[in-house]
Amino acid sequence: MISAQGITKRFGGFTAVDRVSFEVGRGEILGFIGPNGAGKTTTMRVLTGFLPATEGRAVVAGHDVFEDPMAVRRRVGYLPETPPLYPELSIGAYLRFIAEIREVPRGERTRRVGEVMEQVGLDGWEDRILGSLSKGYRQRVGLAQAVIHDPEVLILDEPTSGLDPAQVVGIRDYVRRLATRRTVILSTHILPEVEAICGRAVIIAGGRVVADDTIDGLKDAVGQGIRYRVELRAPASDGPTLARRLAGLPGVERVVPLDEPGDDGFEVFDIRAPADPRTAVARLATAEGWEIRAMERHAATLEEAFLAAVGRER
Amino acid sequence: MSQAWAIFKKEMRVYFVSPLAYVFLGVFLFLAGLFFYMGISMTGEASLRVMLGNLSVSLMFMLPLLTMRHFAEERRSGTFELMMTAPVPLWALLAGKWAASLALCLVLLAGTGIFPLVLAYYGDPDWGVIATSYLGLVLTCAAFVSAGLFSSSLTDEPVAAGLIGVILLLPFWLAGNAADMVDSPTLREGMRHLALLTHVEPFTRGVIDSAHVAWFVLFSFAFLFLTWRSVESRRWR
Repeated sequence: MISAQGITKRFGGFTAVDRVSFEVGRGEILGFIGPNGAGKTTTMRVLTGFLPATEGRAVVAGHDVFEDPMAVRRRVGYLPETPPLYPELSIGAYLRFIAEIREVPRGERTRRVGEVMEQVGLDGWEDRILGSLSKGYRQRVGLAQAVIHDPEVLILDEPTSGLDPAQVVGIRDYVRRLATRRTVILSTHILPEVEAICGRAVIIAGGRVVADDTIDGLKDAVGQGIRYRVELRAPASDGPTLARRLAGLPGVERVVPLDEPGDDGFEVFDIRAPADPRTAVARLATAEGWEIRAMERHAATLEEAFLAAVGRER
Repeated sequence: MSQAWAIFKKEMRVYFVSPLAYVFLGVFLFLAGLFFYMGISMTGEASLRVMLGNLSVSLMFMLPLLTMRHFAEERRSGTFELMMTAPVPLWALLAGKWAASLALCLVLLAGTGIFPLVLAYYGDPDWGVIATSYLGLVLTCAAFVSAGLFSSSLTDEPVAAGLIGVILLLPFWLAGNAADMVDSPTLREGMRHLALLTHVEPFTRGVIDSAHVAWFVLFSFAFLFLTWRSVESRRWR
């Protein structure tokens, strides 16, 4: 549904986006993540046709953004970073205006406005003036305007930034429901959000795509997957000896001592192993008379994946 | 076409839900009343010549304030991005905005309709002259609105856009006076053609000359075209 092919955008001598390519399929929710200033907004603006790319091609909903901008505009719903509102208008008047310029047929406008207002939780707010709304409500109106024409593709630039936790959950649920019939690109720098709703993520840093994979794939790439953290105390042996003994257990691939010994004598290790080694560690500890304080299974987080991907670029 | 209509309605709504339109109407009618009184007491004629002439100069300073928000404010508040990603052709956006500002001008001018009625009650005004004078004023408004739209497309700062608009129009007002100080006859003639007054004046005498009508139409289209280019080109930067 969306295909970015080597999009480059230069502003004067500054390259904001550098040969960015990715694909998004129908029904997919793609997380577009990256540090501030990575080029997320610029890329999205190119995809919506707001900014022409310096180089490269973008095809959205079957139409080339540059060659056939009107066809793309008709099929895309877009929520910019700040919801584009006219502060003087009421919510109802604003949404009716959007429905009109978004070519919702005359007979359906009123029904459609009512529908989306209800979906985003604005029912009964028809007459509120946009300028008087709080950030959360502005965001809702922004979402409502993006979906009013029932677009095939939704491009949302940080839809949950600045919202309170309850609102964040509400917006996420809504986006997830929308995606059953649509393709969504959602930019954010809030990683739990990506984990919560996106199937796949593109990580962008310094204007370049540094990773493009499913959420699990991204974690695997960093994480060597899962690791086990154990905290041990052995009065008779020192840290390196302990590590060696742990590494000697069957199935253990690697033991990494962590730099936090503490004054209580407990040593902390990360064990990487394909199968859970904790019972083996416990048996060894019992046999040797070591004390165990904790043994935890740690899955790699998207945060780590993100930092690793962005870090590689730096 | 329906897009332009939608833009037109939105702009009108924005004018009339904010105090802007009412403040304008108030100021404009106050000035009109003042000029009307001045005109009657100075000339003793049952004519609107003085009032309408002065109003056209006032419009030069007022209309850029009316149009300054069109693009500057949209760009600043981010609604410009909305417009440029909705299936609205640029011409429809321009047409809607231009027509809305011109419609507001018509409302202002309609407000001065009381003065011809007063004249008719106390005297015997020449209705033909009044009609052509108003036509001249409407054409002037159309031209000023176009120039105002253009100045609004140049900056993200509405106040700056307003000032640019006034500065843009000033030469067209001053060209007439300045022409008298120029020695070269060709240049003098050229400046007279540029001057607003040259083209407004026949209307106030009851003459509709197609050449002068054409000047206003050309002026309007020239600035609409420049606005179109300016809005397009700013997307590339």
